[in-house]
Amino acid sequence: MVTGNVRIRNALSESKPGIGTKLGFSVLYAVLIVVAALQLFPLVWLLFFSLKNNQEVFNLPPLSLPMNPRWENYEKVWSAGNIDVYFFNSVWITVSATVITVMLGSLVTYAVTRMKWKGSSLVLGLFMVAMMIPVHSTLIPLFSLFNKVGLTDHPLSLILSYVAFNMPITIMILLGFYYALPREVEEAAIIDGCSVNRMFFRIVFPMTSSVLATTAIINMIYNWNEFIFVNTFISSDSYKTLTVGVQNFIGQYTTDWGAIGATLMISILPILITFLFLSNRIVEGIAAGSVKG
Amino acid sequence: MDKVLSNKKIIALYVLPSLLLILAIVYIPIVLTAYYGLNEWNGIGAMTFVGVDNYLALFKDTTFWNSAWHSLLLAVFSGISLLLYLIVAMVLAARIKGANLFRKIYLIPMLLSSVAIAQLWLKIYHPTNGVLNSMLESLGFANPPAWLAESSIVLFALFIPILWQYAGFYILIYYAALKNIPASLEEAAKIDGANALQIAWKIKLPLVMEVIKVTIVLAVVGSLKYFDLIFVMTDGGPNGASEVMASYMYHEAFRAYDFGYGSAIGFFLLVICLAVTWVIRKLTASKDTIQYS
Amino acid sequence: MFRKKGWMLLLAICLVLVAAGCGQNSNESNSGSKETAGESGEKVTVNFMHLWPEGVSAGQNKIVNQIIKAYQDEHPNVTIKQEVLDNEQYKNKLKVLSASNKLPDVGVTWAAGFLQPYVEGKLFTPVDDLLSGELNGKFVSGTTEAYAIDGKTYALPLEFNIAPVYYNKSLFEKYKLEIPQTYEQLKAVAKTLSENGIAPIALGNKDRWTGSLWYMYLADRIAGQQTLSGAINGEGSFMDEGLLQAATEVQTLVDSHAFVKGFNGLSNEEAKSEFLNGTAAMYMMGTWELPNFTTNEDIPKDFRDSVGFFKFPNVEGGKGDINSWVGGPGVGLFVAENSAVKAEAKAFVEYFVTQWGEQAVTGAGVIPATKVDTSSMELPQLYIDLFNEMNQASSITLFADVQMQANAAETHLNMIQALFGKAATPEKFSEEHDKAISDGK
Repeated sequence: MVTGNVRIRNALSESKPGIGTKLGFSVLYAVLIVVAALQLFPLVWLLFFSLKNNQEVFNLPPLSLPMNPRWENYEKVWSAGNIDVYFFNSVWITVSATVITVMLGSLVTYAVTRMKWKGSSLVLGLFMVAMMIPVHSTLIPLFSLFNKVGLTDHPLSLILSYVAFNMPITIMILLGFYYALPREVEEAAIIDGCSVNRMFFRIVFPMTSSVLATTAIINMIYNWNEFIFVNTFISSDSYKTLTVGVQNFIGQYTTDWGAIGATLMISILPILITFLFLSNRIVEGIAAGSVKG
Repeated sequence: MDKVLSNKKIIALYVLPSLLLILAIVYIPIVLTAYYGLNEWNGIGAMTFVGVDNYLALFKDTTFWNSAWHSLLLAVFSGISLLLYLIVAMVLAARIKGANLFRKIYLIPMLLSSVAIAQLWLKIYHPTNGVLNSMLESLGFANPPAWLAESSIVLFALFIPILWQYAGFYILIYYAALKNIPASLEEAAKIDGANALQIAWKIKLPLVMEVIKVTIVLAVVGSLKYFDLIFVMTDGGPNGASEVMASYMYHEAFRAYDFGYGSAIGFFLLVICLAVTWVIRKLTASKDTIQYS
Repeated sequence: MFRKKGWMLLLAICLVLVAAGCGQNSNESNSGSKETAGESGEKVTVNFMHLWPEGVSAGQNKIVNQIIKAYQDEHPNVTIKQEVLDNEQYKNKLKVLSASNKLPDVGVTWAAGFLQPYVEGKLFTPVDDLLSGELNGKFVSGTTEAYAIDGKTYALPLEFNIAPVYYNKSLFEKYKLEIPQTYEQLKAVAKTLSENGIAPIALGNKDRWTGSLWYMYLADRIAGQQTLSGAINGEGSFMDEGLLQAATEVQTLVDSHAFVKGFNGLSNEEAKSEFLNGTAAMYMMGTWELPNFTTNEDIPKDFRDSVGFFKFPNVEGGKGDINSWVGGPGVGLFVAENSAVKAEAKAFVEYFVTQWGEQAVTGAGVIPATKVDTSSMELPQLYIDLFNEMNQASSITLFADVQMQANAAETHLNMIQALFGKAATPEKFSEEHDKAISDGK
């Protein structure tokens, strides 16, 4: 912990470089680079792993280069049918669930942190309790619920579940940010006769773009990788998502790890690109002046 | 101002859609889980109402308390590791060269699904040709342990990938929170002669305090109901040494066909989460919230 | 954040929801498949859920599709709609669907203990009429019985397996080892291999049923098949001296490093790869692995050619018979009791089982549960040898975890891992078994 603090101090005092600072910087960068290499390791490993067959996966060290890369793993996965359908479903279900969750979550957080009403803490409590149930406890009741309203084997069952189960965590994260937002701006706006809707959409919502990007990334990752609900609520191939593609390579007695690797690689690319894009939205805090204008 | 901010119609408009969704999708399962817990039910045939028998049995069930202890340990470790994530986020949020690239690389592992992470770590921990043991052997350690097969170490061996899996999640949140602090604050403090450590401690930390509190709750609740990697990597074994509450719930409900008892575990898990959250919020309660100004 | 009033309200809402929830759950069980019931010529859809995904069980998946296609060609008014899940997810989904009584018209099930709750819950329909029809006499004896409860058969088996010990001939040659004829010789073989740095036996006991095979054979050879079966079905006791000795022998094997390092943390898949790679010399597994040792092109031919098998040897002074095997039918097909298209579903199952037999031998390389004339087929020697062994078997004891009810099976599997991990003594192992089995009654 102590070294960590030293690192921060060094990092922050770049304006007055001295010998100690320079050394500190070298150490800091050395550490940063080593950790970065460790963090890149899984992606590289996954790439290698997707180019091996079962025996090579199990018997060679994980980072050994695939001697004769088995691109046929990718061919096998693509030709194993329905991957394109799964892919498309993953995209639109992930995007819609993420947008709805972040939007609805922001509205709730705003109402809870900024507006004055009885029962706001109760409502918040209700949302918090909702993230405490283990997912396997919900499968049987949820299936029977969707069955009642005719939503089994319907993509809406997935979107509703994703929104509902990610809402609490989304609100929790937003909460920490909303508490720290300055009230002065809103007070001024209200005195100017601004309506609540206008204030939320025009002033508060844009001010939270960092945290919106953060929650969007988190939601996106969760929705993209989810498979228990898909397997339970969906039975038609035309509604299944990409994670099912991975599951399809895990069999009763045998498991084709090369193909699993290839599926994982294919499935991680879109989310990696989106992540790189979204993470640029986490920008410097709003300069105090820009809000007033 | 208060009048505008307590407009009932607006509040209802903002809160009700999400609330109704949560009540339907999450609360019906929660309530039904509590109810199933009062029954003897294999999930297939008729239910027999047995009152609180399952819950009483739970109190005497040493396997359950062992698994609860394991979950609690995980929660403690997750909570402590938050400190490390905060420090990393502070370094990444400092305006040093390449911080942007480092941040992106550091968050890549969180994009991977649990299936991929589990496979990676199984290869690392493999008793004979895993990365870890190969390394230890080449360093001269004869006969390194089989990490996932020894009751005394398996739990801690599992904690590492679990904490690693979530590191990106918390670093991302902290990073966004730190970035949200207006740069003008830091500059003003610098002009006043504050050093980097003081800025971090006196200015940044208080401003992200609400976010930290939220992440503590998220980390603890998330750990208490944790399931994924444990299920894939050890399935709670060997001999229950890595069984946690959620995996025990799953084993009872879905493997042993004791859905009544499994539901009782699920509901009790929720109660424990609720109690722990309450304690955390009491401990971290502060009189006033601090905002950017 | 939480205030007192808030808590009261929360409680009130919960209570309302309990009431709503209960009401919702009570009138559950009358919603069958929604397909139009079929009179001849009317369009009918039969939902079929199975666990042979294309990516892995390529052989089986292809056969399933061929059979379905042929069936649909013969019955143009029938559409077979497939849903494919992997093993673990399949079992979960079956469970969830059962709770809402929404099982597919046709699905895959396991025998005995797995089947029982579904039969008691009246979710599967008896298929005895099929057995006395076209399929009469087609099944290998001892296969359909595993799916029978109280005199009625609730599913038709597809596969039939026994579990031999496969061994690596070239490793045996290298260390001048002979196939063990007695258990003492098996231990000596293991000792030699271990001394030469070769892991004697590949075992992935994270999956637990894998270790169960070893215990069952030791129990069978020491205490005899009757004693073992009696203990499992609750008529006898695991405290039997022979069964206790079998459990002790398991721990002796563990102590002598007969199994691969870290076996309790390895999955069967991981352990198998050690055998496939020649780092472990022996591997006990069901005949469903045969394709990997015979026809699977992904595995080097050199290795496939060097795989042999032997029967679990006799233990000196034991009551076992070397021709007694552990094994049994694998999966079978059921028809849902409240299927709206029961007649069509049964017709399809009958067709499927008939077609499966021959195609499974040639296409997937597994041993079917129906009688197949293999004399005219070109088959790998290993397959033929094991096929013949199966026909000469003096008895075949069904896998313990399949035989027992779900609850007892869980205890059995957990105790197996504990026994191998030396977290339980043989006495404790046996006590827990007796308790779990008598509780289950």
